[in-house]
Amino acid sequence: MQQVKDTLKEVVYAILPVTIVIIILQLTLIRLPIENLIQFLVGVAFVGSGFFLFLLGVHAGLLPVGEKIGRMLPRTNKPWLIIGTGFLLGIAVTVAEPDVRVLANQIDRVSGEIGSGILILSVSLGLAIFVALAMVRTIYNVPLSYLLIGGYVLVFALSFFVPPDFISISFDAGGVTTGPMAVPFILALGIGVASVLRKDTTGSSDGFGLIGLASIGPIIAVMILGVLYQ
Amino acid sequence: MNIHIFDGFLGILGEVGMALIPLILFFAVFQVFMLKLPFQQLKQIAFGFFLTFLGLALFLQGVHVGFMPVGELMGEALGQRSNTWILIPIGFVLGFVATFAEPAVRVMNEEVDQTTSGYISARVMLYTLSIGVGASIALSMFRILSGISLWYFIIPGYLLVFILVYFSNKTFTAIAFDSGGVATGPMTVTFIVSVAVGVASVTDGRDPLIDGFGMIALVALTPIIAVLILGLIFSSKGGKKTNDAKS
Repeated sequence: MQQVKDTLKEVVYAILPVTIVIIILQLTLIRLPIENLIQFLVGVAFVGSGFFLFLLGVHAGLLPVGEKIGRMLPRTNKPWLIIGTGFLLGIAVTVAEPDVRVLANQIDRVSGEIGSGILILSVSLGLAIFVALAMVRTIYNVPLSYLLIGGYVLVFALSFFVPPDFISISFDAGGVTTGPMAVPFILALGIGVASVLRKDTTGSSDGFGLIGLASIGPIIAVMILGVLYQ
Repeated sequence: MNIHIFDGFLGILGEVGMALIPLILFFAVFQVFMLKLPFQQLKQIAFGFFLTFLGLALFLQGVHVGFMPVGELMGEALGQRSNTWILIPIGFVLGFVATFAEPAVRVMNEEVDQTTSGYISARVMLYTLSIGVGASIALSMFRILSGISLWYFIIPGYLLVFILVYFSNKTFTAIAFDSGGVATGPMTVTFIVSVAVGVASVTDGRDPLIDGFGMIALVALTPIIAVLILGLIFSSKGGKKTNDAKS
């Protein structure tokens, strides 16, 4: 029950600021019709109750499951299993992410040539490859900054060959692929894996970085598509 | 009065379900072959998944019927004012408070708080990310009003990131890059992008579709910088508990 109370309090603190700011803007600068304001308050009620259930659910489901799988993987002593799991997870979360489909449709509209199917496929491949790389990094203890710098150097090298329209879309692709369902799961998985592999040192840091690395793959994937289709 | 409440809710339920199914399948495979959790635990996890599903669907519905239309109208109303520069501070404030209401940000901050045993508290993380996102929305508004290419923000931005990485320890580097991906969630992106689309639609020479692009790119960039700077502040204060070597 304590957890329910705490979560409720947290949600109120989370939703109240944005609601107050919008109401202040409404009263001072914007003055939308009252109908719009009511519409907004309906949204606030939905967002608040949804946020509450989401947080409770994540703590009972996604987080413990991600961490359990993460803890179990290294114990099998099969590096390929950890890396392969990362890859498959990458594919699974991207293909299912609603925002990726929204982005794919937008790109379809702008480019007119790149169908959304091929786009979703390449974005998820890009993300999956980088999650797999992130697993390789954790297993063999490669410093995160090497991979990050390598990834972004590749991004900026590619950007010289990509049509200007594509540059902003590519960077957007990096942001949208990690949605609210995927983030808790991937985070917990990474922390689980690192907590087993890095018992000796401060394991804390090695669990993070997975999402940061995962964001690079889609940028590169969309840029490569841009080069191929120009 | 014509208030929309459940418009499009079925579609959203479908989308959220689609996003959850691969994760459930993933778990199911592990459960059958390796985890073999007892039934009591499974029941709790299933309930957790169900709450997540329902919660995220309600959340997205609220963003779609409430925050998105109001955001777009707000953008239009503000973009038509004579003193459009006011959009820049308003953008900052909106970005700042929208980050509070971002589900993934909450989860991330808790995990950071827990794994660092409170060294980097959830509260400090939240304010840092909020400042980062606020800055990116202010920059985006400036970009829409001035028409400057995204490129002139991205290149110096990432250069700054890598200079900061050089001076940061690996814990903060990892958390910083994760923050970039986490900050771009449904509240920030859907709500703020709709404000920007509203502004662009009433600003001469701006294409809402084109100018809306690139906003997420900035939202993904500035929290990285914010967390790295936080790291430098922490280590310059002596960093009482951290024993990480420089990466």
